Amino acid sequence: MTAPLRSVVLAAALTALPAVAAAKDFLLAGAKPDKLVLIDTARRKVERVITIPGGGGPGPMTIAVSPDGKVAYVVVNRWESIAGVDLDSGKQTFRADLSVGPERVKAMFGMDVSPDGKELAVYLVPARLGADEYTALDPRIAVYRTGDGVGARPARSLPAPRRIMQLAYARDGARLFALGWELYVLDPATGAVRETLPVRHRKRDGLGEPDVLNVWPTWEQSGVLAAPYAVARLDAQGKPVSAMAGLLSLDLDSGALAMNEFEENGPAIFAGVVNPVRRDEAYVVYTTLAKLDRRANKVVKRIELDHTYYNVNVASDGSEVYVGQTMSDIGVYSADTLKRLARIAIPGGADQALATMRMIRR
Amino acid sequence: MKHLKPLNDKARAIEAGRTPEVQPMQTVPAGCSTVFDPGWEVDFLGGVASLCQPMEADLYGCSDPCWWPAQVPDTLNTYPDWNKGADSAQRDWRVLGSVFPKK
Repeated sequence: MTAPLRSVVLAAALTALPAVAAAKDFLLAGAKPDKLVLIDTARRKVERVITIPGGGGPGPMTIAVSPDGKVAYVVVNRWESIAGVDLDSGKQTFRADLSVGPERVKAMFGMDVSPDGKELAVYLVPARLGADEYTALDPRIAVYRTGDGVGARPARSLPAPRRIMQLAYARDGARLFALGWELYVLDPATGAVRETLPVRHRKRDGLGEPDVLNVWPTWEQSGVLAAPYAVARLDAQGKPVSAMAGLLSLDLDSGALAMNEFEENGPAIFAGVVNPVRRDEAYVVYTTLAKLDRRANKVVKRIELDHTYYNVNVASDGSEVYVGQTMSDIGVYSADTLKRLARIAIPGGADQALATMRMIRR
Repeated sequence: MKHLKPLNDKARAIEAGRTPEVQPMQTVPAGCSTVFDPGWEVDFLGGVASLCQPMEADLYGCSDPCWWPAQVPDTLNTYPDWNKGADSAQRDWRVLGSVFPKK
């Protein structure tokens, strides 16, 4: 290699290095009626606002991101379409319109990208519209090839239990977890139920049936699907005497499921997330933000928020917690002290409503 | 049920206890979850003190997916434009109107 060529190679290497080292956290939020908002959390700045092609209102719903952080798959168009949007160009690279002919099909919360980024699994709720009646059809999971682009049709349709609110691939892609009344472990190729782990019908002395609020996918940082639940504590006669709050944790590596109560008659909680660094710590949110000790199953600290937020996520280094959805701002809090560090406004003041708030690394 | 008379197949199925897959809220939990939501909302203690603050924070999050079908229009199906152009419930609530069935 000649000296000038060595210089060129060295210069190229030095240019490439910062791109690797500079990989950092971004929050991806949605806003009404058809926006994706990419936020640089370190700079507390909105990096980019993308109008989702064919968004169609009333607002983006569930968001799932490709493993490389480049494409966001979003439930849009009154939840009858999935739009795959390139987060750099804003162009639509994937589109699946769900309703066909007299069959109206809605997607809501259950959607995930396979770990290799090649497939997208979506839980669908179909109804056949007749002249004077609607017929509720069996729900199903549609699996799309992400490479099929705009106009994608399902590569396969899997039978699915009713009432599924979350779909999550195992980290190795070999299992597809479907969380509803129970946790179903599915074969992602056939939909066959390999295992059913009781959730609502988990029998424990002195406790009623847990009611799990499991509608927000925020496991990308820790690999743990965390969902709060409420369960009645029963007296000896089986009558409810108080309400317990608990956290359901599903390890997407091992498939281990745990349900542990941490509080009695506390405030309402909507969402939870596990710290990817200090994995005994979890954060739960609604009108308060609380830090939990997952080992001791207790609240370590709680603060009041300035308004209700549905969703919570966490930085890759575990140092910051982000609360979002509902209205038009995202709150930034210290994961250690829960002190408020910043407030990031959604451009235009639009509500985020139910749009998922995901963390991506780019 | 002594004051109610079933008039169709579904009602007769309910009376006969043949509707195993849908159950109303039994432990009065938060709505929006794995139980059937009848269209009203209480917190998991059976009251309203723990609901969203302010209620505008919850308005679109609950009306968009038809969780409050008795109180606000169904924007997914029958009244898709009810909140069109009113992207902030707190700022734009004044423009939200009533809806009436089309004749």
